[in-house]
Amino acid sequence: MRAPYTKHLGLAAVLLAAAVAACSGDEDPPGNVPTPDAGNPSQEDAGTPDAGVPDAGPPDAGPPDAGPPDAGPPDAGTPDAGPPGTVVIPNKLSDLKLFTGTPATGDFQPVAGNLPYELTTPLFSDYSLKSRTLYVPDGKKALYSQNDVLDLPVGTIITKTFAYPADFREPDKNVRPLETRILVRQPSGWEAYPYVWNDALTEADKAVGGKVFKNFEFIDAEGVKKTFDYLVPQRNQCQKCHHEVDAQDNQYLVPIGVKARYLNREHVYDGQPVNQLQHLAALGKLGGLPATGVPRAPNAFDATEATVAERARTYLDINCAHCHNPKAQPGITSRLFLDIKTTDEFSLGYCKRPGSAGSGVGGEFDIVPGDHSTSILWYRMNTEESGKMMPEIGRALRHDVGSQLIADWIDAMPPQSCK
Amino acid sequence: MNRLSRAVLVAALSLLALPACSDDDEDRQFANPNPSPGQPATDAGTPDSGTPDSGSGNVWPAEFSCTDAQRKTLTFNPGQEQDLQNAVNDLQPCTTVQLGAGTFKFDNAVTIRQDGITIVGAGRGAQGEGTGGAASTVLDFTNAAANTNGLDVVGKLFTVKDVALWNAKKDALRVENSSNVFIQRIRTEWAVENDENNGKYGIYPVKSRYVLIEDCEAYNAADAGIYVGQTRYTIVRRNIAKKNVAGIEIENTRFAYVEGNTAIDNTTGLVVFDLPGNPIKGTDILITKNTITGNNRPNFASVTASSSTVSQVPAGTGTFILASRRVEFVGNTWGDNGSVDIAVLSGLAIEPNPLLWSAGFFNFNTGDVSIHDNTFLGGSGANVDNGQPDLQRRPLGALMFNLYAYGKAVHGVERVEHVLWDGIDPAPREEGREPNALNLCFYNNTVPATTKQAVVDLDLQSVQTYLTAQPANAPAAWAATARYDQGAEPFNCRGFAPALALP
Repeated sequence: MRAPYTKHLGLAAVLLAAAVAACSGDEDPPGNVPTPDAGNPSQEDAGTPDAGVPDAGPPDAGPPDAGPPDAGPPDAGTPDAGPPGTVVIPNKLSDLKLFTGTPATGDFQPVAGNLPYELTTPLFSDYSLKSRTLYVPDGKKALYSQNDVLDLPVGTIITKTFAYPADFREPDKNVRPLETRILVRQPSGWEAYPYVWNDALTEADKAVGGKVFKNFEFIDAEGVKKTFDYLVPQRNQCQKCHHEVDAQDNQYLVPIGVKARYLNREHVYDGQPVNQLQHLAALGKLGGLPATGVPRAPNAFDATEATVAERARTYLDINCAHCHNPKAQPGITSRLFLDIKTTDEFSLGYCKRPGSAGSGVGGEFDIVPGDHSTSILWYRMNTEESGKMMPEIGRALRHDVGSQLIADWIDAMPPQSCK
Repeated sequence: MNRLSRAVLVAALSLLALPACSDDDEDRQFANPNPSPGQPATDAGTPDSGTPDSGSGNVWPAEFSCTDAQRKTLTFNPGQEQDLQNAVNDLQPCTTVQLGAGTFKFDNAVTIRQDGITIVGAGRGAQGEGTGGAASTVLDFTNAAANTNGLDVVGKLFTVKDVALWNAKKDALRVENSSNVFIQRIRTEWAVENDENNGKYGIYPVKSRYVLIEDCEAYNAADAGIYVGQTRYTIVRRNIAKKNVAGIEIENTRFAYVEGNTAIDNTTGLVVFDLPGNPIKGTDILITKNTITGNNRPNFASVTASSSTVSQVPAGTGTFILASRRVEFVGNTWGDNGSVDIAVLSGLAIEPNPLLWSAGFFNFNTGDVSIHDNTFLGGSGANVDNGQPDLQRRPLGALMFNLYAYGKAVHGVERVEHVLWDGIDPAPREEGREPNALNLCFYNNTVPATTKQAVVDLDLQSVQTYLTAQPANAPAAWAATARYDQGAEPFNCRGFAPALALP
């Protein structure tokens, strides 16, 4: 721990920045406008909305695809090939040819070249068991990056399958996969697609509109029955977590976990435990891996690996920093940066008021050093209340050990009143 | 509201000896301060083009156009929710999503991440209707997954009209990072009144540009019915906001034209403020021809401990402005607001550390506020916070309640004046400061015959010190305040220059 934050440290810098910023130009106002006019949406009229039922066919005519001129399957027929290197996104996961077998027959396995991997500390997703694979096309390789996501070539496909055992006291029995999400590196950038497993577990079908498994149940590791709504995100919702904002304010998609520090661990390949990064390099799938000095994020829940503060920062980095960083919209808005690079205590939330009005979130400051119980950061992680939970999506249940870790970290800080 | 220690404030402000440079715009045009928009087009079933007014040559610039695009219309009816969800997650630009009459039940948000999208239903229906009829379309989010918004949009050239959004888990309509946004004739509502678990915002465009909200209705939001946040160029007109904590909020927004809205029966009716930490310094806001009456609903946002700004507002506050500048109120009607018609506050009242206002160019000061040619019906200021003050949750209301209880008993002052100024800006309040250095102007207003004094300089810091002392010193608190007759100096000034730049 560094010395506690002092209020006027860095004041000169703040004032200097303000002196410069305060003169920065704003946009020009519009001209002399006696009557403001928003202009024309220049949208084709959608017809007459109050003319009753807008299309033929009775409103509830049985199967939804029986007649009404709805969207239809968006990629029925032959999909456009797109630019060279574009991965065609099939309607069935099996048509990606990245796996053999099915969960129904118990032999669902990645094909050779589609490498399973694990993270030192994974993102929490309602206790689901997550199986990850990385497929880098033949003849191509990823480039190492010390701090950021690996630079993965066009054609790369990352998959993540979310599954639950019926009873976490027997995590290898009665495991039911719900969905497999894929991230595809297209020539134009990353794309995300959810696939939902059918009830027979013989196939996962593309579900760009997502799916909610209402009242999904499992028995947790203590034998307590948990019931919650499991949310398979819509394609548009993938962006909520997987995005950065460019200089033009446009959002683009990025992966989260495939960073050297999280990949820097062993996994069993062909019966042998091997470091994942070294394995990728040995296969010719990773270039630029240095012999030494590769960072490693600790296992946030192994006290033998790192201090409470290091583990807490790692937990925040993997669970929160994809939004709470200077290049993502929620970070820009809240000014709360929880990425591992941030060292400024105010940006980490120490005695910081939230960026905009929140309500009923347990306190006035993001972190009150020494007191987790009045820290908004902890409250949002610990609560299961709609509208107050963080992260925004991907969690309906409390991660008990995660929120305890953050509580321990805050309580160990030198106390400040923040007032 | 924290303790506003004057010594600390003076010390902190003395650190902010910045070069005096203006962050104002360079070439403001003088605009007609009292525009007269045309009659709203009576809608005969055909969606209008979004230009209900005639005679204006000005059209907002568009960052995206569908003029040369291939346009497509997709039609959905109740029962086809999953088809609709699949379609909106795979939209081509410039697509219209036509929703038939009736009730659509969703288990997740409807998300739009594409440009040139129009969503149009059969009508917004009437207040209280949670189901769609023959000529209305209700999107019902009652059984949606937790922590989701109703309609969640990021896109350029987005239009939504003629739908109702019902019981959203979080915000009913959230539009973020978008431009050329048209929100017309929609209704956002939660079924249960006064429930702190209702969603926070009804209609919520944020961090956007060129936003029109017109002919909409917003009910029962646990924070704000209509909330324009961190936006440049917005028109908010002819909307109805009732039964919310805040009816209409304009936050950290530049160039706003707020006209002809009805804000009745909220905790607070129509408010303008900047929050600390936001990089957009709000300015140039015209509030005209609005009705802001009877906003006495108990503050149901403040049931639990909260960091929310509106949770601290006493019930019965018609309008407050905070950390705002270049705001003009003309042609509005206030009345029957139990605490006060208009409160003019410094940002330091909610965040006394000036450094935390650095992101918005130290935008805690309120200044250049012109209130003229409005009508004050009376009936306001005699029942502060509904007579149920709470010093912890709503400190300003509690101070006002105790102060005016003394004023009534000892000095016969029956009501809080029409305009309450906290006396803070331009901070710090020192001996020799001009009595109206912030340029707050109140002139040509119609007030009840019983009104003697129209403006009060509260000197909030002194009042707070005296009233929170042990024992409280009400006479000294009262003596610290100053009340000014209608039309009297120094508040009879004539506005500010240059005139507002309107969107």
